[in-house]
Amino acid sequence: MRILIVEDGRKLAEMASRGLRAEHYAVDVAVSGESGWALASVNDYDLIVLDLGLPGISGTELLRRIRGRNAKVPILVLTARDATSSKVECFEAGADDYVTKPFAFAEFIVRVKALLRRGASDQSNVVRVGDLVLDRLEKQVSRGGKRIELTPKEYALLDYLAAHPGRALSRTMIVEHVWDQSFEGLTNIVDVYVRHLRAKIDDPFPVKLIKTVRGAGYRLSDSDGA
Amino acid sequence: MNTRSIRFRLSAWHAVLFAGVFALLGALLYAKVKNYLDDALLETQARRARQIAETLLANPAATGEEYVVRQIRSLYAPELGNRFIRVTRADGSVMYVSGPPDDQSFDPSKVPAASQRREAEFTRQESLADGRSMLIAAFRAASAGGGPYLVEVGTSSEPVDRFARHLLVLLALGYPLVVALAGVGGYIVARNALRPVETIAVKAEIITLHNLSERLPVANTGDELERLSIALNHMITRLDEALGNSRRFVADASHELRTPLTVIQGELEAIASEENLAADIRDRVGSILEEVERLGKIVQKLFALSRLDAGEAQEEWVRLDLAELVASTAEQMLLLAEDKRIGLAPPSGKAVHVMGDRARLKQVVVNLVDNAVKYTPPGGSIQLRVEAEGPNAMFEVADTGVGIPVADIPHVFERFFRVDRDRSSNIDGAGLGLSIVKSICTAHGGQVDVESAVGSGSRFRVTLPLAGSN
Repeated sequence: MRILIVEDGRKLAEMASRGLRAEHYAVDVAVSGESGWALASVNDYDLIVLDLGLPGISGTELLRRIRGRNAKVPILVLTARDATSSKVECFEAGADDYVTKPFAFAEFIVRVKALLRRGASDQSNVVRVGDLVLDRLEKQVSRGGKRIELTPKEYALLDYLAAHPGRALSRTMIVEHVWDQSFEGLTNIVDVYVRHLRAKIDDPFPVKLIKTVRGAGYRLSDSDGA
Repeated sequence: MNTRSIRFRLSAWHAVLFAGVFALLGALLYAKVKNYLDDALLETQARRARQIAETLLANPAATGEEYVVRQIRSLYAPELGNRFIRVTRADGSVMYVSGPPDDQSFDPSKVPAASQRREAEFTRQESLADGRSMLIAAFRAASAGGGPYLVEVGTSSEPVDRFARHLLVLLALGYPLVVALAGVGGYIVARNALRPVETIAVKAEIITLHNLSERLPVANTGDELERLSIALNHMITRLDEALGNSRRFVADASHELRTPLTVIQGELEAIASEENLAADIRDRVGSILEEVERLGKIVQKLFALSRLDAGEAQEEWVRLDLAELVASTAEQMLLLAEDKRIGLAPPSGKAVHVMGDRARLKQVVVNLVDNAVKYTPPGGSIQLRVEAEGPNAMFEVADTGVGIPVADIPHVFERFFRVDRDRSSNIDGAGLGLSIVKSICTAHGGQVDVESAVGSGSRFRVTLPLAGSN
């Protein structure tokens, strides 16, 4: 899998490429719109990460050019503006997804993986974490063979955690996915729901699956460690 | 009437000034006219007196006094002309005196003798016993043989006095009329001249920080008011620019902070995910990460606020049921309240439609309910209400929480303001939630206010214009 990052913030580009390489992707970095266009027109990428605020050729312009050449490559936009209008604008220009700065790196990886997976549709209907089983079709949860009743919100929260097993998801990410943008900043609601969820799926069992990662958020995993 | 208004003062000054000028002019006119008429009358009398003295009394010794008397009677007929003629000899004895005039305006026999004046010619005004007066001209005739005779010719000053009285009455009657006209005229002139001031004042009342792009009306009159309104408009422009600059600064600053914050967050996350990290280091990195996330939220909120201020609030503009929005949002937050054993009562009642941006209005509900949950101790309750009140939709969040000190109430919607910093420091947030609520309400043409009493709770009220019926 080969990924192109077009981002004029060198440190951010460096950090993103390091993180993606750690996930075993091949990464090219361009720090301007021109060099980004040069790389994108020569190589075949599986994913392009594009900053909208570029010097020279603007991000939106580059987005249009790449789309004009290659209709299939998934494009993830990094934007510093969280106005819905600018999001709509970049979707119209051909972006597949966006992340608003500042973002948690985990969020970035989650989005990258989701885009690379897309089309392959490997979202299985049954997810297992340890002895916890989520049946996505029936929206049912059981642990150790025992059925557990969850409220719709609790289920949505568990489903989101289970979709990214072993990865710490920040409260902000959880709020944005499980609730909506209006709840932005209302991260204490996540803590309350996690506590309720724990009472149902962790408290009756010796192995705790939902782990708190200080400063990073929550992680669903059956193994210990960071 | 406002006696301190420029309009009132101008018209009062106008009236007073006119009253003074008119009084002065009237007095002058009266004196001048009276004087002129008296002089003219006396002049006529004097001419006759001279005539009699120079012609009839030139040589009385030759003609005889009886001739003179006859001549005076036939030539001057003083009784018919309501005139008084008297000829006195040098020894003071009267040679001739005219009879009572036709109009009976005086009694010739009662006119006092001329005082012992030695001039050849003089005039005098004689006041009669009945209050009337006479104008008398005297001429001393130096006749040949027979000594000087004093010829006196006079007439009642009554016609002149009557005319003067009429003039006075006319002036007195006209006086209040002129003063009233001056006052009313002054009022009308002042009102017309000051009408633009009223328009400017009304418009200036409407212009707030949120519509600084509007300008005052400029009356194209070329007068001082036009200059004033142009000068005020320039001032508003400068205010607009200054405010725009500061908003742009906040927007730019929060924008520029995003990339470095992302890098800091990412690098810290990378450190935190190292397998063999000492527990205390992991803890400290986690603590920094928490602060970075908090910083990121502040940056996002500041950016959102600057956009709301710039009037870019409405990304969508739809008709929606506020009661339904509040009810569904409250349901999503129910657990948050239950977790603190706080009763959260959703609004009961029918649909209340408003126009607006659904996501933004939902944020208002979320922020206000979250705020109420934060500041209400366990066991308390929060009551939500949505009602139509006249032309407005009203959304109310009433809690039984700690309340807000009176001194802090005016500041709760200010940016970064937090009630009681020590106590609330353990509560997440930067003190931007309520100012975002206020900005959203303002952007929707509504407002938000709060009533509160320490110990018994707070009541936040949002009012938004109701949507039209279609």
